[in-house]
Amino acid sequence: MPVVDVSWRDLERLVGRRLSWEELEECLAKLKCEVEEVEGDIVWYEATHDRPDLFSAEGLARALKGLLGVEVGLREFRVSREERVDLYVEGPSYRPYALGAVVRNLRLDDEAVRQLMNLQEKLHVTYCRDRRKVSIGLYDLDAIRPPIFYRSIKPGDVKFVPLDGEEAMTPAEVIRRTEKGRAYGHLISGYPEYPILVDSEGTVLSLPPIVNSEETRVTEETKNVFIDVTGTDPALMMKVLTVVATSVAERGAPEELVLVNVHAGGKVVVSPDLRLEVREVAREDAARLSGVELSCEEMAHCLRMMRHGAQVLDDRVRVEVAAYRVDILHTVDLVEDVLMAYGYDRITPEPLPPTHAGRISPEEYISRKVRDIMVGLGFQEVANYMMSCPDLLVRRMRLKGVELVEVENPKMERYTALRQWLLPGLLSVVSFNKHLGFPLKVFEIGDVAIVDPSSDVRARIERRAACIVAGPEVTMTDGLVTCKALMRSLGLTYSLRERSHPSFIEGRCADVLVGSRVVGLVGEFHPEVLSNFDIPVPAAGLELCLRALLSELASRS
Amino acid sequence: MDEISKSLGVEPASIMRDIAELQSAGLISVTKRQVMEARLTDEGRRYASLGLPERRLLEFLRQRGVAAAELGKVARDALNAGALSSAAELRLAIQHLVRAGVCRVSEGRLVIDQGAIEEGLRRISEVERALSDVERSAAGLSEGVLRELRRRKLVTVKKRTIIVVQATDRCLEALRRGALRPARVVTRVTPDIILERKWGEVIFKRFDVSVEVPTVYPSRKHPYMELLDEVREILVSMGFEEMRGPHVELEFWNFDALFQAQDHPAREIHDTFFLKHPRTGSLPDRELMERVKLTHEMGWVTGSKGWGYEWSPERALRLVLRTQTTAVSVRTLYERGDGEYRCFALDRVFRPETLDAKHSMEFYQLEGIIVGRNVTFKHLLGFFEEFARRLGLGRVKIKPAYFPFTEPSVEGFIKHPKLGWVEVFPGGMFRPEVLLPLGVRESNVAAWGIGIDRIAMAVLGIDDIRQLFSPDLSFLREKPVPLVRSLAGW
Repeated sequence: MPVVDVSWRDLERLVGRRLSWEELEECLAKLKCEVEEVEGDIVWYEATHDRPDLFSAEGLARALKGLLGVEVGLREFRVSREERVDLYVEGPSYRPYALGAVVRNLRLDDEAVRQLMNLQEKLHVTYCRDRRKVSIGLYDLDAIRPPIFYRSIKPGDVKFVPLDGEEAMTPAEVIRRTEKGRAYGHLISGYPEYPILVDSEGTVLSLPPIVNSEETRVTEETKNVFIDVTGTDPALMMKVLTVVATSVAERGAPEELVLVNVHAGGKVVVSPDLRLEVREVAREDAARLSGVELSCEEMAHCLRMMRHGAQVLDDRVRVEVAAYRVDILHTVDLVEDVLMAYGYDRITPEPLPPTHAGRISPEEYISRKVRDIMVGLGFQEVANYMMSCPDLLVRRMRLKGVELVEVENPKMERYTALRQWLLPGLLSVVSFNKHLGFPLKVFEIGDVAIVDPSSDVRARIERRAACIVAGPEVTMTDGLVTCKALMRSLGLTYSLRERSHPSFIEGRCADVLVGSRVVGLVGEFHPEVLSNFDIPVPAAGLELCLRALLSELASRS
Repeated sequence: MDEISKSLGVEPASIMRDIAELQSAGLISVTKRQVMEARLTDEGRRYASLGLPERRLLEFLRQRGVAAAELGKVARDALNAGALSSAAELRLAIQHLVRAGVCRVSEGRLVIDQGAIEEGLRRISEVERALSDVERSAAGLSEGVLRELRRRKLVTVKKRTIIVVQATDRCLEALRRGALRPARVVTRVTPDIILERKWGEVIFKRFDVSVEVPTVYPSRKHPYMELLDEVREILVSMGFEEMRGPHVELEFWNFDALFQAQDHPAREIHDTFFLKHPRTGSLPDRELMERVKLTHEMGWVTGSKGWGYEWSPERALRLVLRTQTTAVSVRTLYERGDGEYRCFALDRVFRPETLDAKHSMEFYQLEGIIVGRNVTFKHLLGFFEEFARRLGLGRVKIKPAYFPFTEPSVEGFIKHPKLGWVEVFPGGMFRPEVLLPLGVRESNVAAWGIGIDRIAMAVLGIDDIRQLFSPDLSFLREKPVPLVRSLAGW
């Protein structure tokens, strides 16, 4: 979630009155923003991802005005009836789209320019996916002669002075030699043609998505601004452009928005999209979701505080939603706006007496039983991560060719796969604690993942119980004794069938069967396994599938 | 004490406790006295049997009738005759005879003062007597003689405490009346004492409870697992059924069914473990996939605008380690549809983190859904309050929040004694874009999650998240059992 910093003084200027600390904190909370830090004149707050219109002081001030009652209802923008600017789009195929907007009659200063730059940056790292999908640019319109062209050129074709630079460079040089070029160059450097934004006289506005030109820079003297968005996703570009244009417009004195005719592929699209969206919120629906009984008038009042247009129609409210509110997808979003304006702290929680009997899952039920028996048998419970690695699960256990659930992007070498059995983790625990002296008796109850093509997720999650006895006098008998005690306590008759298993000494390992079903295995670990885990004494292990025991128990009763 | 211990045949140290007991019973009195104890040195022991060197020299000279002689000759003769054993001894002898005034040395000659011999011999005898008596009774010697013996390094002197035990009148009286009888003192109760009813004939040795006993550790449940089980108990008592779902999950259930757009940042590699093997799964319900696709693209019939992008079924079928137990909630909603029910999941989820004190790649999430026709946002808040009360977390403060799959959304904070307000309860009402494609048409669904690890760390009193899965048995043994206030009835 982006953290935004605004100047208190600038905010007060935009809101048009003094703000108390309490007011600001309360209003920010109602906008899902959280104050992170205040230092001198600067307030840092975290905005939520769904509200890009709150990523800078302009949009925040607009929202604050509503909550404080300074100015409620829809923010109507002045749009020029006569003027249109033309943008011709023939971008490269990998970044084919461009949209534009013009805002006239601005009054900017240092802080205003800083806010607009910050807004661009916050949008770039969030919605624009680090400029991969969308790139935004702001220019001094008076340094440009429209119409404007979005074209593709060869990397050495033109020269311009990049922002903050002193000498003219070709796009190829910009990528190589400037900081922005190195940061974002990879988005275009692999292609034979680069995108470029120029005006009718060939003045370069920018090399999207890398850097703007110094010549068209926005300064505190700038009165009129041209905004462009270029990229790969036109729907997202339109949203971003609208958010930026309406935020810039808040700096107007008063503003005049000029629409841009975007000519592309023989068609004309008008940007930005300032169209209002109309939705109706039925009083009953809102109450059914929220449990808060508000009249239509109260709802309309709350919606206006959130800067929506609201008109009461009988049992519902007709709402006009501004285009910059890209978070409003559904009427439930408006219900939330109503509740936030109303104040969450005014909502009385409603008790929720149980209607049905609850219960734990069968896996947890059998786990509890087994846990109690194991503790009674003198075993200490331990808990390991399900994430582990092939070295531990397979190699150290003398296994080969075992399929594991493995992750593609592990963060640590020790945690790259899900465990397919519990005993290796228990051996690690024994090894870790050998300084405490033997015998050591530990057990674990937990889930393992076994690759299984018949499952929808290609893996079967199994609840298992496993235990280890380790000590100088230990033999397979210790495993058998534990198995017998556990199975008898569960009231299960079982049998053993000798088997061969690389982790155990030949002739000292057996499957545990209930009826004809294998439910687990028991054995004495091979000395090489013990050596791999640095355990100096013999150890016996038992691992049982609790799911299998559960179904055996269920079929019995 | 020495006598007692000798006659009982036990070490003095082992009867000290009995003596203290008898004393506190008023049967004996104990007095302690410090005494000087002298021991002859090797040299002293030799002189005690042979006589002091000066006596031996003087006797030798008298036997020969020498009144004066050349020093060298005296030395040779005395050593040859065996009166003195070494030149050093000879030197000592002459030194002491001169100091006693019996001899003097003049121009290389030893001259004996005949008149002083008697007095000299008397003094020598006195020292020799002391030498033979000193071990028996150092206290009887005069200070001067004792000092002389110590100076000549013939004895060493130590101080020693003597414990004298004396029967008190009360003891004697008791003896006279026959109230004191000999009895067997026992440490353990033996079968004959029980079966032959001998408890009246033995004395049970008293135990000193101030003595530290060895530490033993019970084998126990894992404190974290135990606590999680108690949390389950609380939820069961609130009418929740436990649900389970796979840890390996389709992106579909982990994200798509939750209306999280396919380019949502949470679906990138920094936030989700993708699988290398196996890579993709399957979803047999084609219609469900179609409904989710349409909802993402344009809202389908949910009344939503949708996200407005082209939804990829391939992406939805990719496998991940589930990042949220919400995947289990949506699977449950898909299976059960409309109705009146409450479910919870308390299980593990995974995120690509490097394991350290604050972060873990694997942790528990507690999550639940409350499904019903008349379930509202207010009920969700009611649930938070009740659950916090039962966990003993105190008052809940709520604030608006944003989650992609709920609207309205809320974040509940509890007051932590050290950290201030801590967010522990995210929640909200599932969006229609989530519910309708799953087949939930009539019901509202309140969904909530709890940061259970944070609560567990507070209850267990630990500040390193790795300790929740500590392999250290000493740590597990020392940790007291977790106590949940509401379950304990406090």
